[in-house]
Amino acid sequence: MIRTEEMLLNMGPQHPSTHGVFRIILKIDGETIIEAKPVIGYLHRGTEKLAEDLQYTQIIPYTDRLDYISAMTNNYVLCHAVETMMGLEIPDRAEYLRVIAMELGRIVSHLVSWGTYLLDLGATTPFLYAFREREAIINLINELCGARLTFNYMRVGGVKWDAPEGWIEKVRDFIPYMREQLAGYHDLVSGNEIFLSRVKGVGKYTKEEAIQYSLSGPTLRCTGVKWDLRKDEPYSIYNRFDFDVVTRETGDCLSRYEVRLEEIEQSLRIVEQAVEQFPAEGEILAKVPKIIKAPKGEAFVRIESPRGEIGCYIASDGKKEPYRLKFRRPSFYNLQILPKLLKGENIANLIAILGAIDIVLGEVDG
Amino acid sequence: MLGLFKGLKYTLNQLTKEKVTYDYPNKPLPLPDRFRGIQKFYPEKCIVCNQCANICPTDCIQLTGKKHPDPTKKGKIIDTYDINFEICILCDLCTEVCPTEAIIMTNNFELAEYSRDMLFKNLEWLDENDENIRQVNKA
Repeated sequence: MIRTEEMLLNMGPQHPSTHGVFRIILKIDGETIIEAKPVIGYLHRGTEKLAEDLQYTQIIPYTDRLDYISAMTNNYVLCHAVETMMGLEIPDRAEYLRVIAMELGRIVSHLVSWGTYLLDLGATTPFLYAFREREAIINLINELCGARLTFNYMRVGGVKWDAPEGWIEKVRDFIPYMREQLAGYHDLVSGNEIFLSRVKGVGKYTKEEAIQYSLSGPTLRCTGVKWDLRKDEPYSIYNRFDFDVVTRETGDCLSRYEVRLEEIEQSLRIVEQAVEQFPAEGEILAKVPKIIKAPKGEAFVRIESPRGEIGCYIASDGKKEPYRLKFRRPSFYNLQILPKLLKGENIANLIAILGAIDIVLGEVDG
Repeated sequence: MLGLFKGLKYTLNQLTKEKVTYDYPNKPLPLPDRFRGIQKFYPEKCIVCNQCANICPTDCIQLTGKKHPDPTKKGKIIDTYDINFEICILCDLCTEVCPTEAIIMTNNFELAEYSRDMLFKNLEWLDENDENIRQVNKA
Protein backbone atom coordinates (compact mmCIF):
# COMPACT_ATOMS: atom_id res chain seq x y z
CA MET A 1 0.00 0.00 0.00
CA ILE A 2 1.49 3.35 -1.03
CA ARG A 3 0.90 6.18 1.40
CA THR A 4 0.57 9.66 -0.01
CA GLU A 5 0.85 12.98 1.73
CA GLU A 6 -1.16 16.11 1.25
CA MET A 7 0.72 18.98 -0.22
CA LEU A 8 0.24 22.73 -0.43
CA LEU A 9 0.76 24.25 -3.84
CA ASN A 10 0.72 27.92 -4.67
CA MET A 11 -0.70 28.86 -8.02
CA GLY A 12 -0.01 32.47 -8.83
CA PRO A 13 -0.03 35.39 -8.14
CA GLN A 14 2.19 35.48 -11.23
CA HIS A 15 0.71 32.87 -13.49
CA PRO A 16 -0.30 33.29 -17.14
CA SER A 17 -3.57 31.42 -16.74
CA THR A 18 -4.93 33.47 -13.88
CA HIS A 19 -5.31 36.46 -16.22
CA GLY A 20 -3.81 38.87 -13.75
CA VAL A 21 -2.44 38.77 -10.24
CA PHE A 22 -4.57 36.11 -8.64
CA ARG A 23 -3.37 33.44 -6.28
CA ILE A 24 -4.92 30.12 -5.35
CA ILE A 25 -3.56 28.06 -2.47
CA LEU A 26 -4.21 24.45 -3.37
CA LYS A 27 -4.21 21.53 -0.99
CA ILE A 28 -3.56 18.57 -3.22
CA ASP A 29 -3.46 14.83 -2.85
CA GLY A 30 -1.48 13.61 -5.80
CA GLU A 31 -3.16 15.41 -8.64
CA THR A 32 -6.52 15.81 -6.99
CA ILE A 33 -7.45 19.09 -5.39
CA ILE A 34 -8.79 18.68 -1.87
CA GLU A 35 -9.19 22.32 -1.05
CA ALA A 36 -8.67 25.53 -2.95
CA LYS A 37 -8.36 28.92 -1.31
CA PRO A 38 -8.34 31.97 -3.55
CA VAL A 39 -6.31 34.96 -2.41
CA ILE A 40 -7.22 38.28 -3.94
CA GLY A 41 -6.29 41.91 -3.47
CA TYR A 42 -2.99 42.18 -5.32
CA LEU A 43 -4.47 44.76 -7.69
CA HIS A 44 -6.55 46.61 -5.12
CA ARG A 45 -6.37 50.33 -5.73
CA GLY A 46 -9.20 51.47 -3.52
CA THR A 47 -11.29 52.97 -6.32
CA GLU A 48 -14.31 53.35 -4.07
CA LYS A 49 -12.40 55.24 -1.40
CA LEU A 50 -10.57 57.40 -3.94
CA ALA A 51 -13.92 58.32 -5.48
CA GLU A 52 -15.04 59.98 -2.25
CA ASP A 53 -12.54 62.78 -2.90
CA LEU A 54 -13.29 63.16 -6.58
CA GLN A 55 -15.92 64.97 -8.60
CA TYR A 56 -18.24 62.73 -10.60
CA THR A 57 -16.51 63.54 -13.91
CA GLN A 58 -13.15 62.72 -12.35
CA ILE A 59 -14.33 59.26 -11.29
CA ILE A 60 -15.05 58.21 -14.87
CA PRO A 61 -11.37 57.55 -15.77
CA TYR A 62 -11.08 55.41 -12.64
CA THR A 63 -13.95 53.18 -13.75
CA ASP A 64 -12.01 52.47 -16.95
CA ARG A 65 -9.50 50.67 -14.81
CA LEU A 66 -11.89 48.29 -13.08
CA ASP A 67 -12.90 45.95 -15.88
CA TYR A 68 -10.29 47.11 -18.35
CA ILE A 69 -11.34 44.61 -21.02
CA SER A 70 -14.71 46.28 -21.50
CA ALA A 71 -14.47 49.72 -19.94
CA MET A 72 -17.50 51.14 -21.75
CA THR A 73 -20.02 49.39 -19.50
CA ASN A 74 -18.17 50.65 -16.42
CA ASN A 75 -18.24 54.20 -17.77
CA TYR A 76 -21.92 53.81 -18.37
CA VAL A 77 -22.93 52.43 -15.00
CA LEU A 78 -21.43 55.38 -13.14
CA CYS A 79 -22.95 57.97 -15.48
CA HIS A 80 -26.26 56.13 -15.35
CA ALA A 81 -26.29 56.22 -11.56
CA VAL A 82 -25.62 59.97 -11.43
CA GLU A 83 -28.15 60.62 -14.19
CA THR A 84 -30.76 58.61 -12.30
CA MET A 85 -30.18 60.71 -9.21
CA MET A 86 -30.35 63.96 -11.16
CA GLY A 87 -33.32 62.82 -13.23
CA LEU A 88 -31.61 63.74 -16.49
CA GLU A 89 -33.00 62.96 -19.88
CA ILE A 90 -30.34 61.83 -22.32
CA PRO A 91 -30.47 62.87 -25.98
CA ASP A 92 -31.24 60.07 -28.42
CA ARG A 93 -28.06 60.39 -30.41
CA ALA A 94 -25.96 60.05 -27.26
CA GLU A 95 -27.88 56.94 -26.24
CA TYR A 96 -27.30 55.32 -29.62
CA LEU A 97 -23.59 56.12 -29.48
CA ARG A 98 -23.46 54.65 -25.99
CA VAL A 99 -25.22 51.44 -27.02
CA ILE A 100 -23.02 50.97 -30.09
CA ALA A 101 -19.89 51.57 -28.01
CA MET A 102 -21.05 49.26 -25.22
CA GLU A 103 -21.99 46.42 -27.54
CA LEU A 104 -18.70 46.73 -29.43
CA GLY A 105 -17.07 46.54 -26.02
CA ARG A 106 -19.02 43.39 -25.24
CA ILE A 107 -17.79 41.79 -28.45
CA VAL A 108 -14.20 42.73 -27.58
CA SER A 109 -14.60 41.27 -24.12
CA HIS A 110 -15.99 37.97 -25.36
CA LEU A 111 -13.30 37.77 -28.04
CA VAL A 112 -10.59 38.18 -25.41
CA SER A 113 -12.32 35.65 -23.21
CA TRP A 114 -12.61 33.19 -26.11
CA GLY A 115 -9.03 33.65 -27.27
CA THR A 116 -7.39 33.46 -23.87
CA TYR A 117 -9.55 30.54 -22.75
CA LEU A 118 -8.31 28.45 -25.64
CA LEU A 119 -4.78 29.70 -25.07
CA ASP A 120 -5.05 28.41 -21.50
CA LEU A 121 -6.21 25.06 -22.80
CA GLY A 122 -3.19 24.89 -25.09
CA ALA A 123 -4.48 26.15 -28.43
CA THR A 124 -2.42 29.11 -29.58
CA THR A 125 -4.00 29.80 -32.97
CA PRO A 126 -7.51 30.95 -31.93
CA PHE A 127 -5.95 33.61 -29.71
CA LEU A 128 -4.35 35.26 -32.74
CA TYR A 129 -7.59 35.27 -34.70
CA ALA A 130 -9.52 36.67 -31.75
CA PHE A 131 -7.02 39.48 -31.34
CA ARG A 132 -7.11 40.26 -35.04
CA GLU A 133 -10.82 40.99 -34.84
CA ARG A 134 -10.40 42.71 -31.50
CA GLU A 135 -7.85 45.03 -33.08
CA ALA A 136 -10.37 46.02 -35.75
CA ILE A 137 -12.95 46.95 -33.10
CA ILE A 138 -10.41 48.71 -30.92
CA ASN A 139 -9.31 50.81 -33.89
CA LEU A 140 -12.96 51.80 -34.37
CA ILE A 141 -13.30 52.77 -30.71
CA ASN A 142 -9.96 54.58 -30.88
CA GLU A 143 -11.32 56.74 -33.68
CA LEU A 144 -14.40 57.47 -31.61
CA CYS A 145 -12.88 58.37 -28.26
CA GLY A 146 -9.12 58.56 -28.67
CA ALA A 147 -8.04 55.60 -26.57
CA ARG A 148 -7.74 51.89 -27.06
CA LEU A 149 -8.64 50.61 -23.60
CA THR A 150 -9.19 53.41 -21.12
CA PHE A 151 -11.92 55.14 -23.05
CA ASN A 152 -13.16 57.85 -20.67
CA TYR A 153 -15.86 58.34 -23.29
CA MET A 154 -19.09 58.82 -21.42
CA ARG A 155 -20.07 61.88 -19.47
CA VAL A 156 -22.91 62.53 -17.10
CA GLY A 157 -25.67 63.50 -19.53
CA GLY A 158 -24.25 62.03 -22.72
CA VAL A 159 -20.93 61.30 -24.38
CA LYS A 160 -17.77 63.31 -24.95
CA TRP A 161 -17.44 63.00 -28.72
CA ASP A 162 -19.85 62.73 -31.57
CA ALA A 163 -19.20 59.96 -34.11
CA PRO A 164 -16.53 61.12 -36.58
CA GLU A 165 -17.47 61.35 -40.22
CA GLY A 166 -17.92 57.95 -41.83
CA TRP A 167 -17.60 56.11 -38.52
CA ILE A 168 -21.12 54.72 -38.50
CA GLU A 169 -20.54 53.36 -42.02
CA LYS A 170 -17.33 51.69 -40.85
CA VAL A 171 -19.23 50.00 -38.02
CA ARG A 172 -21.89 48.89 -40.49
CA ASP A 173 -19.24 47.35 -42.76
CA PHE A 174 -17.62 45.60 -39.84
CA ILE A 175 -20.74 43.59 -38.90
CA PRO A 176 -20.82 41.18 -41.90
CA TYR A 177 -17.06 40.71 -41.63
CA MET A 178 -17.37 39.78 -37.95
CA ARG A 179 -20.24 37.37 -38.70
CA GLU A 180 -18.06 35.60 -41.24
CA GLN A 181 -15.20 35.31 -38.76
CA LEU A 182 -17.56 34.05 -36.07
CA ALA A 183 -18.62 31.18 -38.33
CA GLY A 184 -14.93 30.47 -38.79
CA TYR A 185 -14.41 30.35 -35.02
CA HIS A 186 -17.02 27.61 -34.78
CA ASP A 187 -15.28 25.67 -37.55
CA LEU A 188 -11.94 26.16 -35.88
CA VAL A 189 -12.76 25.25 -32.30
CA SER A 190 -16.36 24.41 -31.44
CA GLY A 191 -16.30 20.98 -33.09
CA ASN A 192 -12.73 20.14 -32.18
CA GLU A 193 -12.69 16.78 -30.39
CA ILE A 194 -9.68 17.58 -28.20
CA PHE A 195 -11.31 20.81 -27.01
CA LEU A 196 -14.63 19.09 -26.33
CA SER A 197 -13.02 16.39 -24.23
CA ARG A 198 -11.35 19.09 -22.10
CA VAL A 199 -14.49 21.10 -21.35
CA LYS A 200 -17.56 18.89 -21.70
CA GLY A 201 -19.03 18.09 -18.29
CA VAL A 202 -16.21 19.91 -16.47
CA GLY A 203 -16.94 22.49 -13.77
CA LYS A 204 -20.63 21.75 -13.61
CA TYR A 205 -23.10 23.49 -11.33
CA THR A 206 -26.85 23.69 -11.19
CA LYS A 207 -29.33 26.49 -11.58
CA GLU A 208 -29.95 26.62 -7.83
CA GLU A 209 -26.26 26.76 -6.98
CA ALA A 210 -25.71 29.54 -9.49
CA ILE A 211 -28.44 31.62 -7.88
CA GLN A 212 -27.21 30.83 -4.36
CA TYR A 213 -23.76 32.11 -5.27
CA SER A 214 -25.38 35.14 -6.97
CA LEU A 215 -23.64 34.48 -10.24
CA SER A 216 -24.65 36.61 -13.17
CA GLY A 217 -23.99 37.02 -16.85
CA PRO A 218 -22.86 34.03 -18.93
CA THR A 219 -21.98 32.11 -15.77
CA LEU A 220 -25.65 32.25 -14.75
CA ARG A 221 -27.24 31.87 -18.17
CA CYS A 222 -25.24 28.71 -18.91
CA THR A 223 -27.41 26.90 -16.35
CA GLY A 224 -30.64 27.81 -18.11
CA VAL A 225 -31.70 30.87 -16.12
CA LYS A 226 -33.04 33.39 -18.58
CA TRP A 227 -31.84 36.59 -16.92
CA ASP A 228 -30.39 39.47 -18.82
CA LEU A 229 -30.84 43.01 -17.54
CA ARG A 230 -30.95 44.34 -21.08
CA LYS A 231 -34.18 42.37 -21.47
CA ASP A 232 -35.55 42.12 -17.94
CA GLU A 233 -34.85 45.63 -16.68
CA PRO A 234 -34.20 47.55 -19.88
CA TYR A 235 -31.95 50.55 -19.34
CA SER A 236 -30.76 53.09 -21.89
CA ILE A 237 -32.63 52.29 -25.13
CA TYR A 238 -32.31 48.51 -25.13
CA ASN A 239 -36.09 48.07 -25.35
CA ARG A 240 -35.89 49.34 -28.94
CA PHE A 241 -33.82 46.40 -30.15
CA ASP A 242 -34.77 42.89 -31.01
CA PHE A 243 -32.36 40.29 -29.64
CA ASP A 244 -32.42 36.98 -27.78
CA VAL A 245 -31.16 36.09 -24.35
CA VAL A 246 -28.75 33.21 -24.89
CA THR A 247 -29.07 30.30 -22.48
CA ARG A 248 -27.77 26.75 -22.20
CA GLU A 249 -28.96 23.99 -19.89
CA THR A 250 -25.93 21.99 -18.84
CA GLY A 251 -23.96 24.50 -16.74
CA ASP A 252 -20.53 23.13 -17.64
CA CYS A 253 -17.52 24.90 -19.14
CA LEU A 254 -18.64 24.11 -22.68
CA SER A 255 -22.01 25.78 -22.12
CA ARG A 256 -20.31 28.95 -20.87
CA TYR A 257 -18.11 28.94 -23.93
CA GLU A 258 -21.15 28.55 -26.18
CA VAL A 259 -23.12 31.29 -24.43
CA ARG A 260 -20.28 33.76 -24.92
CA LEU A 261 -19.83 33.02 -28.59
CA GLU A 262 -23.54 33.30 -29.23
CA GLU A 263 -23.70 36.57 -27.31
CA ILE A 264 -21.24 38.01 -29.81
CA GLU A 265 -23.82 37.21 -32.48
CA GLN A 266 -26.59 38.88 -30.45
CA SER A 267 -24.43 41.95 -29.84
CA LEU A 268 -23.84 42.19 -33.57
CA ARG A 269 -27.61 42.14 -34.04
CA ILE A 270 -28.02 45.03 -31.60
CA VAL A 271 -25.22 47.05 -33.23
CA GLU A 272 -26.78 46.39 -36.64
CA GLN A 273 -30.15 47.74 -35.51
CA ALA A 274 -28.59 50.68 -33.67
CA VAL A 275 -26.63 51.68 -36.76
CA GLU A 276 -29.82 51.36 -38.81
CA GLN A 277 -31.84 53.56 -36.43
CA PHE A 278 -29.00 56.01 -35.75
CA PRO A 279 -30.46 59.54 -35.72
CA ALA A 280 -29.04 61.75 -38.47
CA GLU A 281 -28.49 64.64 -36.10
CA GLY A 282 -29.04 65.74 -32.55
CA GLU A 283 -27.33 66.66 -29.34
CA ILE A 284 -24.77 64.40 -27.72
CA LEU A 285 -24.88 65.98 -24.28
CA ALA A 286 -27.92 66.89 -22.22
CA LYS A 287 -28.12 70.25 -20.50
CA VAL A 288 -26.02 69.72 -17.39
CA PRO A 289 -24.50 72.25 -15.01
CA LYS A 290 -20.76 72.74 -15.29
CA ILE A 291 -20.15 71.31 -11.85
CA ILE A 292 -22.25 68.23 -11.38
CA LYS A 293 -23.86 67.79 -8.00
CA ALA A 294 -26.03 64.79 -7.34
CA PRO A 295 -28.99 65.68 -5.10
CA LYS A 296 -29.02 64.45 -1.53
CA GLY A 297 -30.05 60.83 -1.31
CA GLU A 298 -28.95 57.49 -2.64
CA ALA A 299 -29.35 55.41 -5.77
CA PHE A 300 -28.43 51.97 -6.99
CA VAL A 301 -28.45 51.04 -10.64
CA ARG A 302 -27.36 47.86 -12.34
CA ILE A 303 -26.63 47.01 -15.93
CA GLU A 304 -25.47 43.98 -17.88
CA SER A 305 -21.74 43.97 -18.42
CA PRO A 306 -20.09 41.18 -20.45
CA ARG A 307 -19.26 39.43 -17.17
CA GLY A 308 -22.57 39.88 -15.44
CA GLU A 309 -24.45 42.44 -13.47
CA ILE A 310 -22.40 45.51 -12.69
CA GLY A 311 -24.03 47.79 -10.18
CA CYS A 312 -23.24 51.23 -8.87
CA TYR A 313 -24.45 52.59 -5.55
CA ILE A 314 -24.10 56.26 -4.78
CA ALA A 315 -24.90 57.96 -1.52
CA SER A 316 -24.75 61.69 -1.89
CA ASP A 317 -25.06 64.54 0.56
CA GLY A 318 -25.60 67.06 -2.20
CA LYS A 319 -21.93 67.94 -2.73
CA LYS A 320 -19.94 67.60 -5.94
CA GLU A 321 -18.24 64.47 -4.60
CA PRO A 322 -20.15 61.35 -3.58
CA TYR A 323 -20.38 60.57 0.12
CA ARG A 324 -19.99 56.90 -0.64
CA LEU A 325 -19.61 55.03 -3.89
CA LYS A 326 -19.84 51.29 -4.29
CA PHE A 327 -19.51 49.08 -7.31
CA ARG A 328 -21.06 45.66 -7.51
CA ARG A 329 -18.33 44.07 -9.55
CA PRO A 330 -19.51 40.91 -11.31
CA SER A 331 -16.09 39.21 -11.56
CA PHE A 332 -15.75 39.34 -7.77
CA TYR A 333 -19.12 37.65 -7.23
CA ASN A 334 -18.64 35.10 -10.00
CA LEU A 335 -15.32 34.06 -8.52
CA GLN A 336 -16.94 32.96 -5.24
CA ILE A 337 -18.03 29.64 -6.67
CA LEU A 338 -14.46 28.65 -7.61
CA PRO A 339 -13.46 26.80 -4.39
CA LYS A 340 -16.61 24.71 -4.62
CA LEU A 341 -16.01 23.82 -8.26
CA LEU A 342 -12.38 22.91 -7.70
CA LYS A 343 -12.98 20.46 -4.84
CA GLY A 344 -12.17 16.96 -6.02
CA GLU A 345 -11.08 18.08 -9.47
CA ASN A 346 -7.91 17.19 -11.25
CA ILE A 347 -5.27 19.93 -11.27
CA ALA A 348 -5.35 20.11 -15.07
CA ASN A 349 -9.02 21.02 -14.94
CA LEU A 350 -8.35 24.02 -12.72
CA ILE A 351 -7.33 26.13 -15.70
CA ALA A 352 -10.37 25.08 -17.68
CA ILE A 353 -12.73 25.94 -14.82
CA LEU A 354 -11.12 29.26 -13.89
CA GLY A 355 -10.92 30.37 -17.52
CA ALA A 356 -14.58 29.61 -18.11
CA ILE A 357 -15.64 31.89 -15.25
CA ASP A 358 -13.81 34.66 -17.12
CA ILE A 359 -12.61 37.04 -14.43
CA VAL A 360 -10.75 40.30 -14.79
CA LEU A 361 -8.57 40.99 -11.80
CA GLY A 362 -8.93 44.74 -12.03
CA GLU A 363 -12.57 44.19 -11.33
CA VAL A 364 -12.17 41.48 -8.69
CA ASP A 365 -9.85 43.64 -6.61
CA GLY A 366 -11.54 46.94 -7.29
CA MET B 1 -11.64 13.59 -36.36
CA LEU B 2 -13.92 15.65 -38.58
CA GLY B 3 -13.76 18.63 -36.24
CA LEU B 4 -9.97 18.70 -36.37
CA PHE B 5 -9.93 18.82 -40.15
CA LYS B 6 -12.57 21.53 -40.26
CA GLY B 7 -10.37 23.65 -38.01
CA LEU B 8 -7.33 22.95 -40.13
CA LYS B 9 -9.20 24.06 -43.22
CA TYR B 10 -9.99 27.42 -41.58
CA THR B 11 -6.35 27.91 -40.62
CA LEU B 12 -5.12 27.05 -44.12
CA ASN B 13 -7.61 29.50 -45.62
CA GLN B 14 -6.02 32.28 -43.57
CA LEU B 15 -2.66 31.73 -45.26
CA THR B 16 -3.67 33.73 -48.30
CA LYS B 17 -5.04 36.66 -46.26
CA GLU B 18 -3.28 39.99 -45.94
CA LYS B 19 -0.91 40.59 -43.00
CA VAL B 20 -2.45 42.46 -40.09
CA THR B 21 0.66 43.33 -38.11
CA TYR B 22 2.28 46.77 -38.04
CA ASP B 23 5.94 47.45 -38.79
CA TYR B 24 6.37 49.44 -35.60
CA PRO B 25 8.79 51.10 -34.63
CA ASN B 26 10.25 51.22 -38.15
CA LYS B 27 7.09 52.94 -39.33
CA PRO B 28 5.01 55.20 -37.10
CA LEU B 29 1.70 53.75 -35.93
CA PRO B 30 -1.33 55.10 -37.74
CA LEU B 31 -3.42 56.89 -35.10
CA PRO B 32 -6.69 58.77 -35.38
CA ASP B 33 -6.83 62.52 -34.79
CA ARG B 34 -8.65 62.11 -31.49
CA PHE B 35 -5.92 59.95 -30.02
CA ARG B 36 -4.93 61.07 -26.53
CA GLY B 37 -1.16 61.35 -26.35
CA ILE B 38 1.29 63.58 -24.49
CA GLN B 39 -0.02 67.13 -24.11
CA LYS B 40 1.22 70.18 -25.97
CA PHE B 41 1.15 73.43 -23.99
CA TYR B 42 0.90 76.98 -25.36
CA PRO B 43 2.25 79.35 -22.67
CA GLU B 44 1.03 82.44 -24.52
CA LYS B 45 -2.57 81.21 -24.53
CA CYS B 46 -2.71 80.25 -20.85
CA ILE B 47 -4.67 82.57 -18.56
CA VAL B 48 -3.67 80.76 -15.32
CA CYS B 49 -7.24 79.85 -14.43
CA ASN B 50 -6.12 76.64 -12.68
CA GLN B 51 -9.01 74.62 -14.09
CA CYS B 52 -6.73 71.91 -15.55
CA ALA B 53 -4.98 71.41 -12.22
CA ASN B 54 -8.32 71.27 -10.42
CA ILE B 55 -9.99 68.74 -12.73
CA CYS B 56 -6.98 66.41 -12.93
CA PRO B 57 -8.06 63.15 -11.25
CA THR B 58 -4.50 62.22 -10.27
CA ASP B 59 -3.25 65.73 -9.36
CA CYS B 60 -0.35 65.51 -11.78
CA ILE B 61 -0.45 69.13 -13.01
CA GLN B 62 1.31 71.85 -11.06
CA LEU B 63 1.37 75.44 -12.21
CA THR B 64 2.20 78.90 -10.97
CA GLY B 65 1.41 82.28 -12.47
CA LYS B 66 2.92 85.72 -12.16
CA LYS B 67 1.67 89.24 -12.70
CA HIS B 68 1.53 90.48 -16.25
CA PRO B 69 4.80 92.36 -16.99
CA ASP B 70 2.84 95.06 -18.81
CA PRO B 71 1.23 97.06 -15.97
CA THR B 72 -1.58 98.28 -18.23
CA LYS B 73 -2.88 94.70 -18.68
CA LYS B 74 -4.88 92.82 -16.11
CA GLY B 75 -4.59 89.17 -15.24
CA LYS B 76 -1.72 86.77 -14.88
CA ILE B 77 0.63 84.95 -17.18
CA ILE B 78 2.02 81.50 -16.72
CA ASP B 79 5.30 81.13 -14.86
CA THR B 80 5.83 77.40 -14.42
CA TYR B 81 3.81 74.49 -15.69
CA ASP B 82 4.73 70.89 -14.89
CA ILE B 83 3.08 67.61 -15.66
CA ASN B 84 4.23 64.51 -13.84
CA PHE B 85 3.93 61.70 -16.38
CA GLU B 86 4.60 59.11 -13.72
CA ILE B 87 1.00 59.54 -12.65
CA CYS B 88 -0.70 61.25 -15.60
CA ILE B 89 -3.28 58.87 -17.06
CA LEU B 90 -3.87 60.87 -20.26
CA CYS B 91 -7.56 61.08 -19.51
CA ASP B 92 -8.07 64.26 -21.56
CA LEU B 93 -9.98 66.13 -18.83
CA CYS B 94 -7.40 68.97 -18.71
CA THR B 95 -7.89 69.77 -22.38
CA GLU B 96 -11.64 69.45 -21.97
CA VAL B 97 -11.89 72.19 -19.33
CA CYS B 98 -9.27 74.57 -20.78
CA PRO B 99 -11.19 77.68 -21.92
CA THR B 100 -8.45 78.93 -24.28
CA GLU B 101 -7.18 75.59 -25.62
CA ALA B 102 -3.80 76.33 -24.14
CA ILE B 103 -3.30 72.65 -23.42
CA ILE B 104 -4.16 70.09 -26.08
CA MET B 105 -3.44 66.47 -26.83
CA THR B 106 -1.01 65.21 -29.46
CA ASN B 107 -0.57 61.82 -31.11
CA ASN B 108 2.80 61.25 -29.45
CA PHE B 109 2.80 58.44 -26.95
CA GLU B 110 6.43 57.34 -26.56
CA LEU B 111 7.18 58.20 -22.95
CA ALA B 112 9.78 55.58 -22.02
CA GLU B 113 12.73 57.06 -20.14
CA TYR B 114 15.76 55.73 -18.30
CA SER B 115 14.95 57.48 -15.05
CA ARG B 116 11.81 58.49 -13.23
CA ASP B 117 12.91 62.09 -12.96
CA MET B 118 12.82 62.37 -16.72
CA LEU B 119 9.05 61.80 -16.65
CA PHE B 120 8.62 65.14 -14.93
CA LYS B 121 8.00 67.45 -17.88
CA ASN B 122 8.21 71.22 -17.55
CA LEU B 123 6.79 74.14 -19.47
CA GLU B 124 9.60 74.30 -22.05
CA TRP B 125 9.39 70.61 -22.84
CA LEU B 126 5.61 70.70 -23.19
CA ASP B 127 5.88 73.78 -25.41
CA GLU B 128 8.35 72.07 -27.71
CA ASN B 129 6.17 68.99 -28.02
CA ASP B 130 4.49 70.34 -31.13
CA GLU B 131 4.27 67.42 -33.56
CA ASN B 132 1.06 65.60 -34.50
CA ILE B 133 -1.13 68.03 -32.62
CA ARG B 134 -4.79 67.20 -32.38
CA GLN B 135 -6.79 69.29 -34.84
CA VAL B 136 -10.29 69.16 -33.34
CA ASN B 137 -10.32 69.65 -29.59
CA LYS B 138 -13.88 70.32 -28.60
CA ALA B 139 -16.78 68.09 -29.57
